[in-house]
Parts: sequence; structure tokens; C-alpha cells
Amino acid sequence: MITITHFLVVSAVIFCIGLYAVLAKRNAIMILVGIELMINASILNFVAFSRYDKVNYGGQVFALFAIVLAAAAVAVGLAIILNVYKYYKTINPANINELKD
Amino acid sequence: MGALSILIFLPLFAAFLILALPTSLKGSYKYIALTFTVFQLALSIYMYQQFDPTLSGINTIEGYQFVEQLPWIRLDLGRIGKLEIDYFVGIDGVSLPLIVLSTLVMLMSIGASWHVEKSTKGYFALLMILNMAVMGIFAALDFFLFYVFYEVMLLPLYFLIGIWGGARREYAAMKFFIYTLLGSVLMLLVIVGLYFSVVNPASGAHTFNMILMMNPGNYVDGSFFGFIGNYHEVFGVPSRLIGFIVLFFAFAIKVPIVPLHTWLPDAHVEAPTPVSIILAGILLKIGGYGIIRVCYSIFPDIAADTNWWLALIGVISILYGALNALAQKDLKRMIAYSSVSHMGFVLLGIASLTAEGVSGAMFQMISHGFLSAALFFLVGVLYDRVHDRYIYNFRGLATIMPTYTVYVAIAFFASLGLPGFSAFIGEAFVIIGAFNAESMLTGVPRWMAVGGSIGILLSAAYFLWTLQRMFFGQTRLQGGEKWRVALTDLDTREKIVLLPALALALLLGIVPSLIFHHLNASILQLLNTIKPYL
Amino acid sequence: MLELLNISPITASLLVVLLPFVAFLIQAAFGRRSISGNIGLIAIILSTILSAICVFFVVWNGENATQRITWFTIGTKSFSVGILLNKLTVSMQLLVCIIALPVHFYSRAYMKGDDGLHRYWMYLSLFCFAMLGLTVSINLLQLYIFWELVGFASYLLIGFWFTRDAAVQANKKAFLINRIGDLGFLIGIALVYAQVGTLDLVELFGKSGWFLNDTTANITLQEINKDSAWLTFAGLAFFLGAMAKSAQFPLHVWLPDAMEGPTSVSSLIHAATMVAAGVFLLCTVFPLFNETVLLVIAIVGTITAFSAAIFALGQYDIKKILAFSTISQLGFMMVGVGIGAWDTAMLHLATHAFFKCLLFLCAGAVIHEMSHFKTHARLDFDPQDLRNMGGLRHYMPKTFVCMVIGALALSGFPLTSGYLSKDSIVVSAFEWASLHGNFYLAIPVTLIVVSLMTAFYIGRLIFKTFFGSFSFKQHTSTAHSLHEAPGMMIWPMLFLAACSLFPIFGLQPLTYQQTWLIQGFQVVLSYPVIHTAHLFIPVGLTIGAILAWVLGWQWYVKQKYPLHANNRWVRFSNRQGYLNEVNDVLFVKGTQRLSAALYAFDRYVVDGATKLVTWTMQQVAVVAYWFDKNIVDGIVNFSANTTYYIGHLARHVQNGQLQGYLGFALTVVILGILYLIIK
Repeated sequence: MITITHFLVVSAVIFCIGLYAVLAKRNAIMILVGIELMINASILNFVAFSRYDKVNYGGQVFALFAIVLAAAAVAVGLAIILNVYKYYKTINPANINELKD
Repeated sequence: MGALSILIFLPLFAAFLILALPTSLKGSYKYIALTFTVFQLALSIYMYQQFDPTLSGINTIEGYQFVEQLPWIRLDLGRIGKLEIDYFVGIDGVSLPLIVLSTLVMLMSIGASWHVEKSTKGYFALLMILNMAVMGIFAALDFFLFYVFYEVMLLPLYFLIGIWGGARREYAAMKFFIYTLLGSVLMLLVIVGLYFSVVNPASGAHTFNMILMMNPGNYVDGSFFGFIGNYHEVFGVPSRLIGFIVLFFAFAIKVPIVPLHTWLPDAHVEAPTPVSIILAGILLKIGGYGIIRVCYSIFPDIAADTNWWLALIGVISILYGALNALAQKDLKRMIAYSSVSHMGFVLLGIASLTAEGVSGAMFQMISHGFLSAALFFLVGVLYDRVHDRYIYNFRGLATIMPTYTVYVAIAFFASLGLPGFSAFIGEAFVIIGAFNAESMLTGVPRWMAVGGSIGILLSAAYFLWTLQRMFFGQTRLQGGEKWRVALTDLDTREKIVLLPALALALLLGIVPSLIFHHLNASILQLLNTIKPYL
Repeated sequence: MLELLNISPITASLLVVLLPFVAFLIQAAFGRRSISGNIGLIAIILSTILSAICVFFVVWNGENATQRITWFTIGTKSFSVGILLNKLTVSMQLLVCIIALPVHFYSRAYMKGDDGLHRYWMYLSLFCFAMLGLTVSINLLQLYIFWELVGFASYLLIGFWFTRDAAVQANKKAFLINRIGDLGFLIGIALVYAQVGTLDLVELFGKSGWFLNDTTANITLQEINKDSAWLTFAGLAFFLGAMAKSAQFPLHVWLPDAMEGPTSVSSLIHAATMVAAGVFLLCTVFPLFNETVLLVIAIVGTITAFSAAIFALGQYDIKKILAFSTISQLGFMMVGVGIGAWDTAMLHLATHAFFKCLLFLCAGAVIHEMSHFKTHARLDFDPQDLRNMGGLRHYMPKTFVCMVIGALALSGFPLTSGYLSKDSIVVSAFEWASLHGNFYLAIPVTLIVVSLMTAFYIGRLIFKTFFGSFSFKQHTSTAHSLHEAPGMMIWPMLFLAACSLFPIFGLQPLTYQQTWLIQGFQVVLSYPVIHTAHLFIPVGLTIGAILAWVLGWQWYVKQKYPLHANNRWVRFSNRQGYLNEVNDVLFVKGTQRLSAALYAFDRYVVDGATKLVTWTMQQVAVVAYWFDKNIVDGIVNFSANTTYYIGHLARHVQNGQLQGYLGFALTVVILGILYLIIK
């Protein structure tokens, strides 16, 4: 039988892949993709845990809410990336260290 | 403001005036200095006239004259007590002759600086400040005030030697300054110690008043320098003895005694002529004055115990200085060493603790004051003309500079103690006093007097040798014809500067009562202070 | 003259002293404009007249007089100056005047044409002032002052020709050796003052000058034990003063050298007056001396008389012979004081003053004419050397006669004044020695030998100068020959020659007790008179002197001279016993070495100590600076550096890399989680 543990393990794997993408990729788009993966891992957890809230389906509602939020965040993130590209002519985060001071 | 304060602060006013005038008027500085010094001399002579020789001074406030006492610094220090520092000046028979001497020597020194070219503004201003400090030292009766003047005196001298001096002037100025400062800093310790030991009976506060320090009754029982029941010791030496030694050390540097004299030949040789005059004429006297006014009056008990050693130091200085003078080839250095020898007589006379000896010492100080000033001026005359002072470079000057030779001969014979001149009275009475010491049981043995008298013989030896070597014989000069042209005889200004000094030497040699009369009461009072401890 | 007689002796005596001083001042003021010497001459004439009429005759026949004013007060003691007139002082003052007078006249001719003549008159007047003041001083301190002034005037006069090196060396030497004596005098004064409390001669010794027979003398001094040590020391100290002034062995070395001065000066100062001041001083303070001191005085006097006579035998310089003869005669006077017969010393002082002054003036005349001859004949020789003279009696008969009279007086020939005075000393010495015993007899015997030597050397001088033939005879011509000295020089010599005969001192030519000086002083002698001595000693001395002259005649006139000129003894005598060389090596060089050594000590040790202290301070400062830099500052820097290094490490965190930040955030979260887990 498929227990909650299976969901959680899948979710953790996705989250780690996303985390890896965020930390290691040398392309801002890929980092954004990584973030999406991490958000989706958490959404997967919401949905998996909503099984314990059968009255309100709070987990599923929250998942929908997070999906909308993620879409918006991606839009904003892409816009930032475009602007960064326009400004630095690169989207490799290692070359952008203006955040230092 | 009394006459004494005017006398002290007149030169300060002159210094401000000189500093205030623009440099375009620099020709007038020397006239300002001259005018003020002449006025000062007139004032000091007026004070000499008004002085009442029957009053004794020393440790009695009523015995002082021209006294001015104003509260100067009053500070409530809470638990420690009240700080009581007065502007307290006055003179007695010991300080009066020295003040008159100082004004005269200052005038001579201004006369000798007539041709100074290098930054006259600073020069005359410093000279005037020095003048003020010297007068202050001789008049101050508050130990704090005395110390202030003592330190103020150092500074102008340092600059006068260090800026207007000869080739090694910085070295000489530094040596002089550090030597004197060493003495005066140690003196400060004793001053503070005395301050905490003495109480003003009128106000109950600790005081710097020297007169009060001379009265054993004003000492706090058990205090550091207290008279009675004083068991304080420093390194196993009684504290009062230490205090005396430290004060003596400070003044002995000034006198100077052997072996603390090495600043003197260097300072004299490097100093410009006017400063040499002041150094020899006034500053050395501060040492002798300090010993009488401070060491002997405040520590009479120790003075009675240590006079054997002081006399020994005096005799050593006499002989050592004279023999060193005999070895000199630089005329100025020879005269500097002769000063060491002549000031040794002062110490011997003071240490003899007899009326003859102490009076003789005071007389010797006065006499040496203007005689050494004249001698240094005479050396300056030669140096001005050919910039050389090496004795072997001159011979037979009598033929080309007859007047100069006459002045030199008079000054030399006066210094070597020819009767009829003042130095004779001074030296003879120091010797007589030292001989008398054994009869008066003051503890100075007669062989010391004999030793001192050999110094008289040696002084004749070096002065006559110089006279013969430089002035007599066929004229032969190191610089040849150029020097012969340069060596012109004395001009009027030089004669005017020299005449009063030599005339005074003669006058005092013939009428010594001019000084002894004013001195007598004070000397007797001093000896009476010390007598109980003998 | 009658008005003058009304002047009190005190005022007159004061005038006698002050007149030459006024002359000195006027001469000093005029300077080069006045070279005639009239001022000094007038002053000394007036002084002589006053001294003779108003002072000497009044006081000698009448009362002693004193006058003093307080000079100054030290402590409780007052010092006075004043005038003391008793027989001793007035006779001395008159003597100085009478000797100075002919010398002044003589100088007018002798010094004529000299470049520094104005200085000469100035110094001469100064000397007269000092010497006259010395004679009548009432106070030992005052006496000392004039005593030194006399030395000073002598210094000036010896070095009168100051461009001559020998002259300035000589005056330096004279002053310094006199200074040694002055020290003795000063120490004596100080001792008397310390012990008795006064320096006034009247308070010390009474008005007449010798308290032994004067009751008014100071009580304390009379009570003093004569044998106390301080009295011996004081006596010796005074004697040291007299030794230097009166040229006693071994302090006599200055006097022969002092002959570098003009001869007229030598005659006044170094023969008659100044050198006699020592004897005068001893007579003045005579009561102070005890037996020990007197014996020392007698012995030193004898040694001086003997050694100087020996040195006189070998001299070639005419003035040096006279100088040594002076020293020798001063030795006689010292013996006179030493044996207690100070009146005989004063008598010899007076007679010696006349004949020695005469001898010097005659020698001066000879030198004067010799140097004139030298200039005219364009020769080069020493005009003072005996070997260049000879046969001068043909050219200068008057000088010859005068000099022979002086020589006879010096050798003590009967009918001269020297006979009286010299015999008085020798006879007294003999009487004194017979009283004391064997050892003491050496003194009169030596004196007798010295008297014979005196006759011999003065005979030698006369023979070599005036007999035989002139050394430069071939150079004499009518144009430039030797001739008699000018009248201005002859008259003073004749005057002094007259004074060198017996009548001036007493009408009895052969017994010295009858001279007015001896009778006036009334000295009480402690030893008995031996009448035979009064007969045999004078006769023996006279015969001996004649024999000495015969020998001298044989040797020097008949040319039978037995000794070689380079004989060791002759050389020893000529070089004055090598005393000058010894002094030079021992004292002069010694003092110079000592002073050089002390100066080196001063420079390297005393000043070196100062420099060492300075150097040490500098080294301490260097060490302190090192400590400050490396230790104290090191701690501060270390803490600062540590902080900096830590910051340096941490700053890599903030590298500006987005992923870096995220990585660190993750690390921290993980660490936090690990912490929670482990906890």
C-alpha cells in the first residue's frame, strides 16, 4: 500500500534536486527552475498531508494557493532575470557580486 | 606696588615693549634695554641709600626691608589643608649688595651686546626676562616664588647660549640646562617636604614662607623635616641631613663646586660675551646666595654639622680650579677655571662660620661679580677683533694695544688679590676667617686655610704667566699683519663699560665698609642662628 | 720753616706718605706729556724735608705718636688704619726718603731719552708711596697691604723694559716668589688675629714697638706662653714673609734676576729699601718670636750670608755681584735679628742702604758710560760684564773714588759706617754664641769667613773694573772715548759716599755702641758683654780684609790668576749653585705637570663622568625605547592584529554571491538542526 512516507520521500527527493539546482547551477533560469521544484515539493507535502484534514481540505486549498503564488513568483523572477541580463549581459550568478556591500 | 616689585618687573615690561614694537624699529631695542637697565640701577642705588643697616633680616621678618606680601595662590585642598602661596619679597643685608651688583652687571652686559646683529628682538627680550628672574631670585622670600624665578631664569639662558653662542653652542646650552635642572628638580622635592613640615602659626595652614621655615617652632612634631623628635630616615640617613644635602647640591651646581663644575667652562667658552658676563657676574652668585639664604638659614643644625665637608670642598675647588686654569691655552677657558677657584673661596668662607669668613665670602662674591664680568668683557674685546682666543697666538700686545694692556693688567692684578682692589679684601678675610674658625670652635681646621691661601699664589701664577706670555715681549702674532691692523686699541664704548667695574673694584678695595656696613647685622644674625647647634 | 714746624708729626708723616702718591696720580694723568720727572722729584724733596724736620726729630727726641681711624667693621671687630710713629718707624721712614732722593736725581740723567720715561716716574712715585706707607703702618693688615704694593711696584719696575723677554720673566719670578712670602705673612696675620683678636701694632706691642719694657702692651699677648706651638708657627710664617722680601736662601733667586730692571731702580729697591722691608717687619713683630723661631732666623741668615757670598765670587755681571752681596748682607741683618740684637740689624740696614745704593749707582754710571761707548764705537759687547772692563779709573776718577768708598764700607773697613754695623752684628753674634755653647759658635765663625769673602769679591770687582787696562783700548779715540758720568749722576754718588762714612751714625768711629741708632733703640740683651771680642774681632776682620785685597791684587791686577775659568767650583758659583735649574725642574715643571695632569683629569675623568652619565642615560633610553616598541607596544599591536585576522577570516562569508549566501544560510540551518538533534 502507498503510505504517506512514500509521498514524503518523493517530496524530499524533489526538494533536494531543487536545492541542488539553486546552489550549484550557473544559470539563473535553472535556479528559478530549482526554486519551482522546491515549491512543488512542498505542495506535494501539502496535498499528502491534507488526507488528515478531511473536513476543510485545508492542505489542498493551501496547495492551490501556493501554486498561484509560485506562478506569480516565477513571473517576477523571470522579470528580474531579464533585467539582470539586460544590465550585466549575463545570467551567471557567480559573475554578479553587487550584493556584497 | 613698592620699589622692590618695580625693580623686579621693570625688565618684564621692557621685554613686552620690545616684543610689541615692529621689527622695523629694531635699532631701538638696545636703547630700550639700556634705558630700563639704567633706571633699574638708579633704583637699586636708591634702595641702597634707603637701606637701614641696623636691621638684620635672615630669620626675622621685621629685619627685612622693602617687604611686600600679597596672597598669590590660595587653594582649599580639603583634607590636605589649604594651599598658601604668597607673593612675598623683601631684602636684607645679604641680598642688597647682590641686587646692586646684578643691576650693574646687567648694565655692563647690555653695553657688551651693543653690536649684536642676529635677531635683536628675541635677544634683548630674553635678556630682559633673565634680568627679571635674577632680581626675583634675590628678592623672593616665599620658597615657591623663589623656585618659580629660579626656573624662569633657566629658559632665557638656554636660548641665549644655544642661539647666539659659538661653534658648539647647542652642546653647551644643553649641558648647562640639564645640569641646572637636575639640581632644581631635586630642590622641588625638598620644597614640598618642607611645605608639609611647616605650619603658619597665624593661619594654621602649611606654608611656603621661608622665614617661617627658619623658625624651629613652626615645624610640626614628627613631620618629615621636623626639628624635634625627627626619626625619619632615607636610606639610613636622617631626613634633615638629606634635605640639606639636596639643597646644597642644587646650589653647588650653580657655584660651581668641583666636581660639579664641568658645565661652566663649556658654557662660558660657547656663550656670547654678554652672556658670559651675566653667567660669571650674577649666576654663580645665586649659588652662594642660596647656600646662605636657604641651606644655612633653614637647616642651621645641619650647617653646623657639615661645615667641615663644605670647607673641604671649598679648598679643593680653590686648588683644583687654579691648577686647571694654569693648564689652559684658551684665554676664556682660563678665566672660567679661575672663576671656579675664586668661588671656592666663597664656599670656604661661608663654611668657616665666622663673621670674618662669611663677610669675606659675601665680599668675594661681589668682587668676583664685576671683576669676572670685566675679565670676560676684555676677552670679548680680543675675540671681536681677530676671532681668536688662543694664548699662544699672541705676544707683545702691550706695544700695539697699550690702553687695552693697562685695563687687562688692572683687571688681572685686581683678580689675583692685589691690595687696594676688592678681591684682596674678600680673599684675605676668607683666609683670616678660616684661621679664626679653630679659635671659634666651628670645626674648620687651619690646614684648610693654608690650603686656600696657596690658591692665592696659584692665581698669581696663571695671571702673571698670561700677562707675560700675551702682552709683553716683542710683538708676534699668529695672524701676521692682518691681525696687527685688526687689533685696534679700546674704543670709547668699551672703556665706558669697563671703567665702572674696575673703578668699583678699586673703590671697594679702599672703602670696604661700603659693603661690610650693610652686611654686618645680617651676618651676625645668621651666625647667631647657627651658633646654638655648634 | 717755622710754620712747617707747627705741623703735628702725624700730619707730617701722612703728607710724607701721600705726596709721592699724589705725584703718581698727576704723572698718571699727564701720561706721555710729562717726562721730566719734576713732579716726582718735588714730591720726594718735600717728603724728605717733612720727614726729617717735622717727623724724625720730633719723635726721636720726644714722644711716640699714634693716630688711627676705623676702616671697617666685620662682625664685632673693627679694623683701623693709621699711623704709628716711634723710633723704629720714623728712622725707617727717613731712611727711605734719604735714599730715594739721590736716586731720583740720578735717574734724571741715567734714564734720559728712554721711550717709557713717563711710566718710569709714575712707577717710582708709586714705589715711594708704598714703601713710605709701609714704614709707618699701625696695623698689620695695613702693613700687609703696603707690603704687597711694594712688591707690585717692584714688579712694574723690574719689567720696565717689557719688550725684553728676560725682564718680563724676571718680574714674574720676583712677584711669584714674593707671593710665597706674602702667603706666609698673611698666615701669620691670620694666626695672630685668631689667637689674640687684634692686628693693631700698638695693642699688640705697645707704642714704642717692643712690649718687653712697655707696660701698656696688650695683656693677652703678654700672658701667652712663649713656647706655644701657634706662636712658633706664626713666627715662622712672618719669617717666611721676610725671607721672600729680603731674599733669604732659598727664596733669594728672584733678586739676581731682578737686575734686569734699570740700575737706578735696583739701587733704590733691590739694594736699599724694599729688600730691607723684611728685616724691618721682623724688627716690628720681634716680640712675637720665641727661641725656636729666633734660632731658625739666625741659621737661615747665616746660610744666606754664606751661600750668597760664594755665588758672588763667581759672577761676571757687575750688577749680579752687587745683588749677591746684597743678599749676603741681608743674611747678616737676619742673624742680627735672630740673635735678639735687632738694633744691630737696623743699624746694618741703615748703613747698608747707603753704601749699597752708592755701589749700585756707581755700577750704573760705569754701565751707562760703557753702553755709550759701545754705541759710539759701534761695538757689540755686554756693557755689564766685568771681563769687558778694566783700567776705568783713568777715565772715570770720581766714580772710582766713590766706588772705592762704597767697597770699603761693604767690607767693613774702619772709619766707614760698614765697620760699625758689620762688627756690631759679628761681635753680638759671638757674644750670643759664647753664652749658648759650642754648636752655636758656628754662626759667628761663618760670619767672619763671609766677611773675608765679602772683602775679596768686592775687591775683585774694583780691581777688574778700575785697574789693569781697558779691554777695548784700541777702539778708544778722541771722538769716542770713555768719560766721566754727567754731574747729575756724580752728585748723588758723592752725597751717598759722604753718608757711607762714620760721622753720619756716630762721632765715635770705632765703637758701634756709641752710634745714635743703637743708643736710641735701647735693646736689652740677654747675654753678657765680652770686652775682648770688641777688640779682637774688628782687628782680625780688618787684617783679614787687607790680606784678601792683597790676594785679589795679585790675582786680578798682577794677572797671577791660579784657577782655570772652567774650574768646577767657579762654574758652580757662577751658576748660582744650580738653584734656578733645580727650582725650574722641581717646582715650575712640577706645577706645570700637575696642572696639566689635573686638566687631563678634569677633561677625561670629571667631565668624562658627566659624559658617561649622559652616555648611560642614552643607552638606558635606547633600551627603554626597545622595550616600549617591542613589549608594551607589542601587546597593543598583538591584540589589534588578532582582531583584524579574525575579521579577515569572517569577511569571506560576505562574498556577494547569491548562491554563496544561500549556501551559508543552508549550512547554518543544517548546523542548527544538527544542534537540535544532538541536544
